[in-house]
Amino acid sequence: MCSEQTHDYDCIIIGGGISGLTCGIRCQSQGLSCAIISSGMSALHFSSGSIDLLGYLAGLDVVQQPFEILPEFIDRHPDHPYAKCGIDTTRTAFAFFQETLARQNLHLHTNTPNNHFHVTAFGTLKPTFFSQQSVFSQAIKSAFENHPAIIIANVRGFKDFHPQLAAANLRKNKLFAGCDISCAVIDLPEAHEPGVETIRNMRSIDIARIVDKQENLAIFAQRINATGHQADILALPACLGIDHYNRAILELSDQTGMTVYEVPSLPPSILGMRLDNALKARFAALGGVFIAGESVTSGRIQGNRVAYIHTRNQDEDLSARFYVLASGSFFSRGLASGFESIKEPVFDLEVLPGMENTEMASPAFFSPDSHAFMRAGVKTNARLNPFQKNGEPVTNLFCTGAVLADYNPVAEASGGGVAITTGYYAANNIDALVKSLIF
Amino acid sequence: MIKLENTSFDCCIKCTVCTVYCPVARVTASYPGPKYSGPDAERMRIKTPFLADQSLAYCNNCKRCETVCPSGVRITDFIYQAKSARLRRKNRLRDFLLTRTDLMGKLATRVNGLANRVMQAAFARTLLSAFVGIAGRASFPKFDRGTFSKTLQRQANHQQTFPETVLYFHGCYVNYYDHALGNDVVFALNTLGVGAIAPPQKCCGVPLIAAGDLKKVRQNATYNLAELLKAAGEGGRKIIFSSSSCVLTVKHDYPGILDIDNAAIFHQLEFITAFLHKRFKQTGLPTMGPVNLTAAYHSPCHLERTGGAIHTVSVLKQIPGLRLILLHSECCGIAGTYGFKKEYRQIAADIGQVLFEQINTAAPDIVITDCETCKMQIQAHTDYPVMHPVSVLAMAIRAAT
Repeated sequence: MCSEQTHDYDCIIIGGGISGLTCGIRCQSQGLSCAIISSGMSALHFSSGSIDLLGYLAGLDVVQQPFEILPEFIDRHPDHPYAKCGIDTTRTAFAFFQETLARQNLHLHTNTPNNHFHVTAFGTLKPTFFSQQSVFSQAIKSAFENHPAIIIANVRGFKDFHPQLAAANLRKNKLFAGCDISCAVIDLPEAHEPGVETIRNMRSIDIARIVDKQENLAIFAQRINATGHQADILALPACLGIDHYNRAILELSDQTGMTVYEVPSLPPSILGMRLDNALKARFAALGGVFIAGESVTSGRIQGNRVAYIHTRNQDEDLSARFYVLASGSFFSRGLASGFESIKEPVFDLEVLPGMENTEMASPAFFSPDSHAFMRAGVKTNARLNPFQKNGEPVTNLFCTGAVLADYNPVAEASGGGVAITTGYYAANNIDALVKSLIF
Repeated sequence: MIKLENTSFDCCIKCTVCTVYCPVARVTASYPGPKYSGPDAERMRIKTPFLADQSLAYCNNCKRCETVCPSGVRITDFIYQAKSARLRRKNRLRDFLLTRTDLMGKLATRVNGLANRVMQAAFARTLLSAFVGIAGRASFPKFDRGTFSKTLQRQANHQQTFPETVLYFHGCYVNYYDHALGNDVVFALNTLGVGAIAPPQKCCGVPLIAAGDLKKVRQNATYNLAELLKAAGEGGRKIIFSSSSCVLTVKHDYPGILDIDNAAIFHQLEFITAFLHKRFKQTGLPTMGPVNLTAAYHSPCHLERTGGAIHTVSVLKQIPGLRLILLHSECCGIAGTYGFKKEYRQIAADIGQVLFEQINTAAPDIVITDCETCKMQIQAHTDYPVMHPVSVLAMAIRAAT
């Protein structure tokens, strides 16, 4: 649909994480041409693989029903990204995201209208909204309601998960009071391949690839059964396949007679990478162009529009009618922190909060009030257009996801939800503008 | 005193994302993966060099680890510097045959008929496999008659008549094996009003890097940079490449792995589709006719490394009658000379399976890719003809008349 010959795309998205991909998929499905430029792999590789909407209010009050509480939450936080997008957009964006992944055979389950908890590798509980079927499902829910016996098992040699640690913390939790929790270790199929000098590092991905092979599933199930443990729920570190996880989880449940549960482990996160793979596959199937291994180094703003962007490796400028900045937070280098200030490095946009008189960090690392820098990010108007240092908005640039100011993804447990909702909202705004320019 | 040249391992946060996307670690448990071989072990090797182990040799230099690294660690640079400085090279005869592309090419293109017959003959392949360690079932490209650089030099007067000229670094593949691709590149440039001059050049050195012979790469690099600088002159003429690996080597590996400064011509070095894409934007499209083809596009690892696929896709999208399927980016396995080595042939074939299956599912008329060895590998493992994007463009331009 890109009608002006001088532009390469209708929309160039800077950042290939959950927000950029959601935005790109929405743009492509509306008929726009779209390229995503990504500098290395995204924070999905470090994520739990569950999608939070709104998990906590101030003081770590757990939110039961996020959509119920959103109207009041938005009233109290009028600059929050959810307030800018609106509750209806949030709802539609979540439905769109769930449907997008379902098309790739990745099914997200909810406890609608409630949040549910997922278990961390430390054995703590985190409220979230969407989870994969091995983290939340009706089967898991009903098993849990009957005070189940739980085995937390590790795969022998896997260094990134410690069942005893998880079990010790869960036993302290009153929600698990009636549960009998034990630990086990299971030998992996292929652990001792004949004739192969194995120096495999036993990371989650190595195990996932072994589990992906159908012929290994029966052996794996046998070895689980051979431990002699029998319980209602079998919790394993999240490495039950990267491509064929649906099959692995189904067959292991069938053959062990236990409900299989996956606990997100240390990076690389298999649960997160399943989301990443599914989103990228969907984007490509819709004709989107995903460029990895490239960084956008600067952008040229003329008047109140981005004219072009410059990348590290290409000695030419790329241009589009619209741009989306979905470059993430500090870790993804969407925000750069210095001793004096926080900057947005591509366009040098206006960033909040300004540093004057602001304490950026709390003295206590795990403070319930979190840290001020967590709320830092690009300031935008209601349409998600950012502002230049001279106070003028940039009208063909939209900011989405973790680069945004005025929300705290950790303290609120809202990171995934804000990423999806703002990405989807920006795509709708761009689509409306493109269509209004044509007709 | 420890000499710290590349301390980007300090940026490694041990996330293991590189190992997830490493095609070699995906198919064999014998390779511990780029995180271990690169930043992890380098910390040890700078103080204790003997810790360099043979597992380093499994790296195929596809650089996908660097493409996916969220922290900008130059993983492959560590691996190749360590491999060159600290591993004993085992198979010098094979290295010689696979890496002295200029010498082999110059000899073979004089007697191309004979050379091709010998390379296809069963007994030669058995000998190569048994004594040299070159995979017996590998499919070698066929030598052309004479060199492309001579052909282009003969047209020098004509090429100078264009209002603008570029330097064409055709590389060994076009020079000795595929003059047709070189002709397509020159034809496409000429159609856009651009003449092409072949400056004196030696092999960029990518097979030498793979063999760990950095000394010889350094000689080639010094020669190439001096000649390119001389030929580019004051006007800052563009230097165009049709091989995605040559451009990566000259532009990024010369400074990265060899520590040779190429800043004087850095911004003139350009892959052909990047040049064409920009031209199209500035001066409009050439007149083209419909090609009426369904094509699956495979982006080579070395083009992915610097995000260059965006230009190839942009050029291809403007070719009339080309229905384009973008394949999910995966390594084809061959990685230059890697798949020609006997001990890695199976690994190379296993790596490529994911790509071959995608191609078979797409069932296109042709496969398009920018890299000559990807082309060889895909042709060896699927039934589809493989074309360079510029050859498809040339086809469309010819279809207009």
